[in-house]
Amino acid sequence: MPGLPQLIDEDVRVLDSALDDLLRRSEARAALVIDKGGPLICQRGASDQFDATTVAALAAGAFSATDMMARHLGETSLSHIYQQGRQVSLLISNVDDNLLLIVVFPADTGVGTVKYYAADAIARMSAQMQQAARRAPGATLDLVSLNTLDASPVFRKRE
Amino acid sequence: MAIINQATKELQLKIVYYGPGKGGKTTNLEQVHDNLGNVQEKGKLISLATSSDRTLFFDFLPIEAMAIKGFKTKFQLYTVPGQVIYNTTRQLVLRGMDGIIFVADSQYEKMAENVESFQNLEDNLKSLKLNLAEIPYVMQYNKRDLPTAAPVEYMEFLLNNREVQVPSFTSVASRCEGVFEALNMITRMLLNKNINEGSRKPA
Repeated sequence: MPGLPQLIDEDVRVLDSALDDLLRRSEARAALVIDKGGPLICQRGASDQFDATTVAALAAGAFSATDMMARHLGETSLSHIYQQGRQVSLLISNVDDNLLLIVVFPADTGVGTVKYYAADAIARMSAQMQQAARRAPGATLDLVSLNTLDASPVFRKRE
Repeated sequence: MAIINQATKELQLKIVYYGPGKGGKTTNLEQVHDNLGNVQEKGKLISLATSSDRTLFFDFLPIEAMAIKGFKTKFQLYTVPGQVIYNTTRQLVLRGMDGIIFVADSQYEKMAENVESFQNLEDNLKSLKLNLAEIPYVMQYNKRDLPTAAPVEYMEFLLNNREVQVPSFTSVASRCEGVFEALNMITRMLLNKNINEGSRKPA
């Protein structure tokens, strides 16, 4: 599993722009891009009204659990999971091998509308991630010019 | 695999607590959550557990810390469910993992479960096409306060007897002893790994 490539300004701009367009067209409330391992990559819209980090971890777990369940049933492709609520609904969509898109939208908005506009966002984000992977396939963080803090522990116990 | 965002100057690392059921993995996370100093920003501790408080899917604790100057370092701490029946769930939680703290139960009667869980870890990594030898991990021998705790040397022989021995720690997680020591060591190993690999020029 190659993992998510290192992201630069251009990548984040494309992801943000794809999410902004999706929110504007679909009238969804918030959109997140997350890694399938759980970390949050970027967020747009009213994502400050909930704990996006926790939602990202839970969505990654929910998607991977549903994917595994589908495989046990003989289905090898899971592209979306949808949770219908009374006030807000949630669509989690597969972007590529590494990323998921989460869209939070009003319950009275049709999921078909959100899926329709999400498809365009997914295509743009997926293409950009392919470009990022080609740019530096093996690169991790270039910390040569940075200094790690001294050897003292990162996590300190409260006294 | 570490997530690196040069645009936002963020590094995200995922650490998974692995080990047999009732060995103290969730207690580790609770202690980190309860005792973390004010310097770091911690999120909510999320536990997906059964009604009897056994981990069903995972526990999750996000923490932001300043580990590298100029870079926001986000740590995501996860536990796996220890019970044998939840193996599929363990595989899911391991996805995208950067480092592991293996929490072994020091009681003599738990040695078979420790060994089985460690073997299970290796098997699950293989299923993800990962090799334990290439992944930073540390051993934490927990419950050292119990009267039936086996000698550390015996646990090292059983669980940490590979070509390269990894750092090991004794702990009493319920009293927060040895918890931060293990976490800081795996953190240091992960940062070193990323710095060393980061020094390579991309092809």
